[in-house]
Amino acid sequence: MKKTLIATATGLLLLQPVAYANVDVSGYASVIGGRVLSGTGVESEGIPPSFLANYPLVGVYEKDWSFKPDTRFGLQFRANLTDGLSATAQVVARGADDFDARFEWAYLSYDLNDHWTLQAGKKRLPLYYYSDFFDVGYAYLWIRPPADNYTWQIFNYTGVNAMFNYFVGDWDISGNIYTGREDDSQNKLLSEYFPPRQPTREIWKNIVGGVLNLNRDWLDIRLTYMTYINERYRTIDGVVERVTWGDSLTRRGKFAGVSVNMDFGSWIFLSELNRLDLDGGKFDTYMVSAGYRINQFTPYISYADFDSANEKHNTTSLGLRWDFHSNAAFKFQYDDVKDKSEPFWEVAGDSKSITFGVDLVF
Amino acid sequence: MNFRCISIMVASLALSASVLAESLAIVVHPANATDLTTEDVSRLYLGRARTFPNGESAVPINLAEGMLARESFDQRALSRSSAQLKAYWSKLVFTGKGTPPQEVDSHEEVLKLVATNPSIIGYVPASAADERVRIAIQLD
Repeated sequence: MKKTLIATATGLLLLQPVAYANVDVSGYASVIGGRVLSGTGVESEGIPPSFLANYPLVGVYEKDWSFKPDTRFGLQFRANLTDGLSATAQVVARGADDFDARFEWAYLSYDLNDHWTLQAGKKRLPLYYYSDFFDVGYAYLWIRPPADNYTWQIFNYTGVNAMFNYFVGDWDISGNIYTGREDDSQNKLLSEYFPPRQPTREIWKNIVGGVLNLNRDWLDIRLTYMTYINERYRTIDGVVERVTWGDSLTRRGKFAGVSVNMDFGSWIFLSELNRLDLDGGKFDTYMVSAGYRINQFTPYISYADFDSANEKHNTTSLGLRWDFHSNAAFKFQYDDVKDKSEPFWEVAGDSKSITFGVDLVF
Repeated sequence: MNFRCISIMVASLALSASVLAESLAIVVHPANATDLTTEDVSRLYLGRARTFPNGESAVPINLAEGMLARESFDQRALSRSSAQLKAYWSKLVFTGKGTPPQEVDSHEEVLKLVATNPSIIGYVPASAADERVRIAIQLD
């Protein structure tokens, strides 16, 4: 994961010896293809048989083979400035965005002491267990974390983050507390997928959250909480309108979740249970998954569910991970989505799909 | 996670069949008198601890992927396969939560580094350890 480049360019320009920063370059890639085998679509919305594999990025498989919805490349540059100070930037290009490369992460990191690290800049919002490494397919079991859980339109924030790490009575206790905001001038999910499909500016402000991880041997427990204020503007016929909820110009979201993972011998057990409360409206998600390692092969199964007043859907998945190379894994997955939403609240209808591809890190 | 060519992969596949039979010596600077358990070593190499149990700062040095002693260390000290470890580090590296230990290509390099800095911890096959270093714990 480490290739050290010497930042000679600066040195050459200045034509004098300078203190070179070591820049580590690392990266990841997932090349995934797939198609819907059969599906209902949503007739009232003119949606053909489709599998919404990635909500925030609107990664949609249809009946024709496509390599766009899940394919992505990431490059990370980390400049180690010594004495605990470093600068990191990560550029991500995704098929769902027509490979338009963007800085998704850009932050400074400073080790205050052996237990605390401060970070400031743009990062991934660490809501769900897999949120902050959602793009790094190699790091987890499936082709993608279950779409039914990872449905929220905002996934980055700009702000500050304090991370900690302690060892207390055989338990590794780590976590972080963070605050910041995100102003997405044209939110993809709200602008392109959900009715009324008009350009939508989505703001999550006053974000305050925390994550607590408890690790011991084969057991990994994670608790997460985050609260924010939502503000939204929609452009209809060229006119910007502020979206209101009842009489209110904003609404408060409160997200809480717990995740329990076990990695015991050849068995892997993964689970997540989350609730988002949006001004009293409840959006519940959960996921359970199990895998069994047989040398380089790990067959797995998972079930994920989304439940709210109107929108309800679940996905049952079966798949295989094959660690065929020291830097890469091949995966094959079958997904069966059931959309049980009330009329006019359907997301993409029922579907059965296959996807396969390779995840790698370097 | 260094990018390596096919020959290394073939070599590592061949090696995984014949794991190092010899003991591994976890080595530190002679002036470093800290006592270590396998669990302490594991926490240092998984990035869960930045200090020795006595509170002094610790810098773990790894052997390169594909080396016999590395395979043996991953299994004996960390109880994980190289693929599991790579997945583990991918998560930390790309979320800014940690960086894997620096890797060196030879036992001699480990001994040299450990001999020059009381913070550095490394490992070599037990027969390779010499008077420049102190064996903190031996993994049989």
